[in-house]
Amino acid sequence: MSATTMLDSAAEFDVRDYLRAEMMPHFLCPGCGHGIALRALLWAVHELAIDKDRLAVVSGIGCAGRLSAYIDASTFHVTHGRPIAYATGLALARPDLHVIVITGDGDCLAIGGNHLIHACRRNLKLTCLMLNNEVYGMTGGQVSPTTSETRVTSTTPLGNSEPHFNACALAAAAGAGFVGREVTHHVPKLKELIKAGLAHPGFAFVEVMTDCTEIFGRKNEMGSSAEMVLRQKSELRPSAYRDTVDMPFAAKDLPTGILARNDRPEYGEAYRRAAVAIKSAADNPAAGRKSRQ
Amino acid sequence: MRDATDDAAVRAVDSATVRQPTNVLIVGVGGQGVIMISKALAWLAQSQGFEVKQSEVHGMAKRGGAVFSHVRFGPEVWSPTIPKGEVDILVALEWAEGLRWLPYLKPDTGIFICDTKRIVPPFACLNRHPGAPLRYSRETPAEVRAHVLEAYAIDATRMAEELGNDRAANVVLLGAVSTAMDFPVADWERAVTEFVPKKTIAVNLKAFGLGRGWIDDARRGTPAALEAEPVFATPRAPADTPYNVRLEITPGWCKSCDICVKLCPERCLQLNSERIVELAIPEACTGCRLCEWLCPDFAIRVHLDSVQDMVAAQAGARQ
Repeated sequence: MSATTMLDSAAEFDVRDYLRAEMMPHFLCPGCGHGIALRALLWAVHELAIDKDRLAVVSGIGCAGRLSAYIDASTFHVTHGRPIAYATGLALARPDLHVIVITGDGDCLAIGGNHLIHACRRNLKLTCLMLNNEVYGMTGGQVSPTTSETRVTSTTPLGNSEPHFNACALAAAAGAGFVGREVTHHVPKLKELIKAGLAHPGFAFVEVMTDCTEIFGRKNEMGSSAEMVLRQKSELRPSAYRDTVDMPFAAKDLPTGILARNDRPEYGEAYRRAAVAIKSAADNPAAGRKSRQ
Repeated sequence: MRDATDDAAVRAVDSATVRQPTNVLIVGVGGQGVIMISKALAWLAQSQGFEVKQSEVHGMAKRGGAVFSHVRFGPEVWSPTIPKGEVDILVALEWAEGLRWLPYLKPDTGIFICDTKRIVPPFACLNRHPGAPLRYSRETPAEVRAHVLEAYAIDATRMAEELGNDRAANVVLLGAVSTAMDFPVADWERAVTEFVPKKTIAVNLKAFGLGRGWIDDARRGTPAALEAEPVFATPRAPADTPYNVRLEITPGWCKSCDICVKLCPERCLQLNSERIVELAIPEACTGCRLCEWLCPDFAIRVHLDSVQDMVAAQAGARQ
């Protein structure tokens, strides 16, 4: 790659090279943060010079799940909550591919919660990009496992009373090799985080805080899309803005960046080694017995 | 009779001169230790039996404001602040801050001691076009020396770095200040020991000696000090290739979400009558790419065309 600085890389990277032009414009609502996250993902792919033919994107159902359809690579749009399960099979069978999962908060933590924790446990080389907009946007704005307390959704008209998931803590506790979180407001940082996740040799879980203007923001009177993007800085208070002077007394603090790294053995490698051993033992039972003696 | 009155007047002026406090103004940028060395100086003066008044303004200096501390001591001190043009010793921990306060220096006898450390404030970068010159002072130490009777430009930060702790730069300057006063060196060192963190006493005492020695060398005209004339590169903006910004907008993809319009730092975008984004003030656009990055619909692509490319393109079109 010729680009040496971030600005050079930005000049070089044209997101349209990685999109299926015939599918555009995409179906997302005006101001939906998912598009920003998709750009960051494709920028990271570009910077790592990953061949499109070696890129497989698997996604489930939901607004985030739909994103795979716009990427000019091998993409799979699979059943609700199961993209990690499909991707696990794909990554085991084709270790030469870069397998990326794009999933939403409901898809990943509610319907597919079990798949997530077991993927973290296995630590198979996968990159899971969870776009967290705190709501089931596509199906009409129901409460999701990450909806903040007191937020209004179509199933919690008087405000959500449930505590919400901390997805990154969950993934780290379940043993994911790489855990990170970023907001869409800071695109170059998000790109760097996804890049680090893609380069990680185990299971990488990246949570992206995005905004849902039409379904979530409207019900919670959070203003226009631009205001919602700025709200990520002022209200969530990601780590990068921790010391800013404009709101020194805001109680919230959202840890962002790389949150956990576990240098555990990668599962695919161990699996293939075991498979070879089993196969050779089956092909040559005498040798197998001899070695045991 | 007349002579006697004149004598009395002269005596009154003399005693007023004698009773004048020594004025030290210490200036810098937040976090450099302006307040710490002013406290050490005030403590020392008090321990020598002088009346001391100290007043300071601190905070926000990283955003273009100033940190400064007035230290006045003498047999009698009335006001805690030093009038303009009355400063005996001006100590600056940052180059531009030093120049900013130069008018406070006593024109005939004032001593100016300044670190050549340059901290470019955000105010110097108001023009965000890449290649735009930074509005930071361009005066060299030689130019300043021509206007001030006794001026020293010390690269105190580098000296402190060489000692292994760049935060001791303020104590290097305190060492330089110490040469202008008659307090015993042992008392100075006691003051330093009193105010620096316990773990850094050794390095700070070394820094103090270094600053003191530097001024002595400079006064004697020792070549070592003169050779220590700091390298004084004028700060520049990172890129200075001129270019023109061109926004490529895909109208069919724009969904009028307004993110780019509201988040553009230069406010140079707007939605047109069909609620599609357009570049309303092209000359204000710096090509920062924020609109490109934050557009969820990939409708904006920022091109930075170099001037050479444009000339070539025009030449191509003409042929």
